[in-house]
Amino acid sequence: MLVRAVRKEEKVSRLIMFHARECPHCKVMMPHVDRLEKEEKVKIERLEVWHDEKNADLMRSYRPVIAPKCGGQLRTPTFFCPETNDVLCGEVPYEKLKDWALKQG
Amino acid sequence: MKRYWRCFVCGDIHFGVKPPEICPTCLVRNAYVEISSDEADRTTRPSRTTMTRQEFRAAIEKFAEKNEFEVNPDASKVDMLFDGIFANEQNHGFKYCPCRLRTKDFSEDLKLVCPCNFLIHETYKGKEDGECWCGLFVRRKK
Repeated sequence: MLVRAVRKEEKVSRLIMFHARECPHCKVMMPHVDRLEKEEKVKIERLEVWHDEKNADLMRSYRPVIAPKCGGQLRTPTFFCPETNDVLCGEVPYEKLKDWALKQG
Repeated sequence: MKRYWRCFVCGDIHFGVKPPEICPTCLVRNAYVEISSDEADRTTRPSRTTMTRQEFRAAIEKFAEKNEFEVNPDASKVDMLFDGIFANEQNHGFKYCPCRLRTKDFSEDLKLVCPCNFLIHETYKGKEDGECWCGLFVRRKK
C-alpha cells in the first residue's frame, strides 16, 4: 500500500495502447487492460488507429521507435510509453502486461 | 531517352526509345501513343477490386487449399477480421491487414494487403501453432 501511495505522488508516465477495432488480439487484451486499470490504478490511454487518422498519425510518428521492436511493423495491439520509449506488442499474458506497465513508473 | 507508350486499342504499355510498330497483344499497327510516367505509374499500380465477402472467402479458401495452412476454423474471429479487411478497403483503398497500421508509403503498405506473405513472419515461421499476423490463416493441424 505504501508503495502505491508513493507512486501516486510521482509524475506518472503516459501509457498508450494502440489498438484496432477489428483486431482479435486487441479484443483479447481489452479485459486485461480493464483489470490492470482497476487493480493497479494505472491509466492506459486506448487509441484506435484504423478508424481515427489522428491516432494513426500519432502511432506513425513513433514508427522509428516502435517498428524495430515489433518485427518491423506497426502492429496492434502495441503498448507504448513515450517517456521511456518502452514498447510491448502483441497478445501477451496479463502478468507480462502488468510487469511492463508498472515498470514504466 | 526511354519513354512510356500505350496502345490506345488494348492498353498495353511499352517502355522504350520508340514504340513498337505492331502491338504484340492486339496486333494493331501504329497504335502506340506517348504517355507520361505518371500515367504509366497509375495504370500499372494494383487497383481495388469489388469483391463480396463470399467471393473473398472463396478466394482465400482456394489460396489455402493445397497449402500447409488453412483459414482459421474460429468463425467469429474470421467474421471480425473480414469486418476489418472490408472496412479498410472502403476507407483506405485496399484490403489492409486489420492488425497492422499502414505506413502511408504505398509500396511498403502493399505488404499489408491480405493475404500477406506471412510464411516468413515470426508469428508463423517455424511455429507449430503458427498463424499469420492477424490470425486469419493458421497452420493445419497434423
